[in-house]
Amino acid sequence: MARAGTAPSQDKAFLVLHRLRKAYDDTLAVDDLTLEIAKGELVAFLGPSGCGKTTSLRMLAGLTPASAGRIVVEGRDLTHVPPYQRDMGMVFQSYALFPHMNVARNVAFGLEMRKVPRGEIAQRVVEAIALVRLTGREQRRPSELSGGQQQRVALARALVIRPSILLFDEPLSNLDAKLRDEMRTEIREIQQRLGITSIFVTHDQVEALTMCDRIAVMHQGRLEQLGTPEDLYERPATAFVASFVGRTNRLKGIARGDTVETGGLSLRTCGTHQGDVVVMMRPHRIVLGEAGCVSADGRAVNRMTGCVIRTVYAGDVVQSDVRVADSIIAVEQSNRGSGELPAVGATVTLSFLARDTLVYPAAP
Amino acid sequence: MSAVALSANSPKNAGRVQPMAIALLLPITIVSLVGFVAPVANLLVLSFQKAEGTGALLGGFTTETWTTVLQDMFYLHLILNSIATSLVITVLTLVTSYPIALYLHRSRGSWRNVLLVLVISPLLLSAVVRTYGWIAILSDQGVVNRTLMFFGMTSPIRLVFNMTGVVIGLTEILMPYMILALLAGFGHLDRQAEEAALTLGATPFTVFRRIILPLSLPGIALGSLLCFVLAVSSFITPKLLGGGRVFLLATEIYDQAIVSLNWPVAATLSGVILIIFGTALLFYTRLLKSVM
Repeated sequence: MARAGTAPSQDKAFLVLHRLRKAYDDTLAVDDLTLEIAKGELVAFLGPSGCGKTTSLRMLAGLTPASAGRIVVEGRDLTHVPPYQRDMGMVFQSYALFPHMNVARNVAFGLEMRKVPRGEIAQRVVEAIALVRLTGREQRRPSELSGGQQQRVALARALVIRPSILLFDEPLSNLDAKLRDEMRTEIREIQQRLGITSIFVTHDQVEALTMCDRIAVMHQGRLEQLGTPEDLYERPATAFVASFVGRTNRLKGIARGDTVETGGLSLRTCGTHQGDVVVMMRPHRIVLGEAGCVSADGRAVNRMTGCVIRTVYAGDVVQSDVRVADSIIAVEQSNRGSGELPAVGATVTLSFLARDTLVYPAAP
Repeated sequence: MSAVALSANSPKNAGRVQPMAIALLLPITIVSLVGFVAPVANLLVLSFQKAEGTGALLGGFTTETWTTVLQDMFYLHLILNSIATSLVITVLTLVTSYPIALYLHRSRGSWRNVLLVLVISPLLLSAVVRTYGWIAILSDQGVVNRTLMFFGMTSPIRLVFNMTGVVIGLTEILMPYMILALLAGFGHLDRQAEEAALTLGATPFTVFRRIILPLSLPGIALGSLLCFVLAVSSFITPKLLGGGRVFLLATEIYDQAIVSLNWPVAATLSGVILIIFGTALLFYTRLLKSVM
């Protein structure tokens, strides 16, 4: 792994979720979630809303009782331990600061609960506030701070108790884009410096991909795939993961060996398949233009011509929809400033490598 | 502040906005002047007038009634007793209403509506009817004493026609007001802040003491003020449940004005009540300022 900072230890058994399940009246919010997390790792729970990621986090924190399954931290079964004895720090989406206390009192709260001596509390509060760069604002009330500052206070409040596990529940989704970028880097840096095992719930794939050591993609209460950002993006285990992480073209077809017949096209694919399938390819792995993509190692290339039906200029990239036979294929090119925007109505050549296709059995 | 900003930004509109505001405020101002300010002023004037033993007012100006009332041990005792009783009732109302209000605040959907109607429904019934209801329940032959005697108690406990009856009756009668005031003041409660406190190591009791209670202080202050004022000024319930043995300010004012026809004393005691209310209001604003 090319990521900087302390490498998570190879022992994956710091936090173990075993067949964790949450059932509401007639629905399963979380269905048999099993995973192991190493000490010092930052793992994202990624998925669309309603996928069970927040419920899983709340079960970890003890705020929602688990219907079945076990939560084990360092060999200690915490499944039925109340939240105030779990020693986990939590950062909420809505910050959840105590509005009647100033910044310093907010941060000191957890230490007071732990009966830490007053002198030590004062010192640790100063350190925690400095860590999140809020020195000088100790006496402010939460209502006098901006959203980003409030979330930093929440982070300091959770960090100061030196929890065994730090839980983040979509902590950045109430912040604007620029601040979100800043906080992302800051949280990752602090997490790595302190080596705190953390779980980060988000619906934002960029957040998950850029910050986390590993990502657990959840869908309808189930764990779809657990892997590094690279695993997820390059080798998605299911069609859902492929379409949720990154943009994809999605074509239905019938596979015979290493070719798939789809909407009047015959595509060379990666690996061999049979029957009804879904073929996916990333828009930016498709090359637009006569030259096409180079296949130096002699691998199969798909090449086809189509008609541009829509072009979107998005600054860094130019996105085009191209009609090829009966299908519409989205293509994304990086904007190199040479001004060759494909014109609507123009006939263009598309090409992409067979190994850049992802093939999954069609959902029944 | 918005009116200032408005007139500063658009001087053309300023001329139009103010007559409109005055026109809208005029009806309530007149009602308030005629129905509240004038009678209270009249009452205060009355308290400084002389009267004959027959009740005829002689006019003139004297501070004699005020000095007599404030030096008479009977009246001083009456005033202190009224304040103490009302404070006890307020505290009891708060303690009994708080859990109900908190539960209501947290319930959702149609269940919440059902509960709200249940809480408000006693207000649809006249306090007189509810007071007679309490007499039926608390009297020597009432439900409570019968039940206790059934389980072997030899003689009934006096629960009515004394201070106990007044406190029980008024507490129940004031509960809907307290619950509604508490609900109105619970806006600052935040479930996630409570959960954050739990994850930081606070036990549920500590969460209540350190988070829920401070955040609901505005509601507690509002409800307590309202119930204290209503308790001090309540007249029917103490009159009926007190059985003539409980002496409070409101009942004494009635006796002085209607039975003894001593209007200056009645007016003076009413003035004392106004002073008590003013002080309570002062405490209330002080408390709110310290919380917010």
